[in-house]
Amino acid sequence: MAAKTSLKGKGKAGKGSKGSEEGSSAAKCVKEWSTWAMKKAKVITHYGFIPLIIVIGMNSEPKPQLYQLLSPV
Amino acid sequence: MGSSVSHAAAPPPPLPSPSPPPSSVGLAAALPPKQDEKAEPEKVDWLNLPCPIPFEEIQREALMSLKPELFEGLRFDFTKGLNQRFSLSHSVFMGSMEVPSQSSDTLKVPTAHYEFGANFLDPKLMLVGRVLTDGRLNARVKCDLTDNLTMKINAQLTNEPHFSQGMFNFDYKGTDFRSQLQIGNNAFYGGNYIQSISPHLSLGTEIFWLGHQRKSGIGFAARYNTDNMVATGQVASTGIVALSYVQKVSEKVSLASDFMYNHLTQDVTSSFGYDYILRQCRLRGKIDSNGVFAAFLEERLNMGVNFILSAEVDHRKKDYKFGFGMTVGE
Repeated sequence: MAAKTSLKGKGKAGKGSKGSEEGSSAAKCVKEWSTWAMKKAKVITHYGFIPLIIVIGMNSEPKPQLYQLLSPV
Repeated sequence: MGSSVSHAAAPPPPLPSPSPPPSSVGLAAALPPKQDEKAEPEKVDWLNLPCPIPFEEIQREALMSLKPELFEGLRFDFTKGLNQRFSLSHSVFMGSMEVPSQSSDTLKVPTAHYEFGANFLDPKLMLVGRVLTDGRLNARVKCDLTDNLTMKINAQLTNEPHFSQGMFNFDYKGTDFRSQLQIGNNAFYGGNYIQSISPHLSLGTEIFWLGHQRKSGIGFAARYNTDNMVATGQVASTGIVALSYVQKVSEKVSLASDFMYNHLTQDVTSSFGYDYILRQCRLRGKIDSNGVFAAFLEERLNMGVNFILSAEVDHRKKDYKFGFGMTVGE
């Protein structure tokens, strides 16, 4: 979850100078992977946060019934 | 009066001790003021000051009274509790939302959306999520890592790229101070610290740094409160001075006033408002130095059913906003 902290799109800028230096390529790889990981984390959170809350809530005591999720009573 | 004092004895009994009825009336009248005098001169325990209000809530009484959630259009909220801790909420809104525009004219966009939300509220973990029909997600997480350390996460995720925002807060609560560290996207780092100086006065400071725009700022705040009033002041290096004063006139009525000065834009705004908390309704009204009148009424029709009316009138800009709605559920 800490990967969500900076959603900067500037990670792609590192790709341009990849071939030039060996020393900083490790740092650039780390930056690329962290940007990729953050994008995946953002998508997972976007689709999975509400289902996560529902799963945690349905498993808490006292357990509510499944029909209570959909009925307005 | 000497005989009545000796009747009272060392721990002053609230009821008169066995004494003839005529004099007991005199005793009952004499006892209450004596107890009040005993309560007044309390010694201040300087090593045991109360914990202050969190820094971001320093103006909370003024904000609650002067800035209700005014809206234009129809609003309907339904909260359904499945459990003591778990609840789902459905919310419908149809009306105009204001879009910030460069010119002084207000730009209103008619919008309609349905929002589905789920809340899980545990003493140690709070999860709140809201998703709208256009795909935006508002997520809030609050987790107590230890007794004194709390982690809060606040995020707004959108489908459009580069428009999402997130913020992590780590709060540490000490015996008479609170400190907070904030990390946000766009390389935002901030921290604040607030300390109780006396049982009524607390002082705080905050700093922040915006990485991408290379901006930083520092601010100071002070809050003085007694049982009946709260006065706060905030100064920031971004050129903002904000003062507020709230007076609780009685159990049901409080009056609030607020002053804000922005040095960079030479903008001054001042507002006065009232807040009536009655048995069946809560009415808040305010008037602004920009000539804006606003009122917000929440009326309790029945157990768990609230009717809401909101009005904001700006004659200068010819902007009239009226809204109504209903809230069902706790």
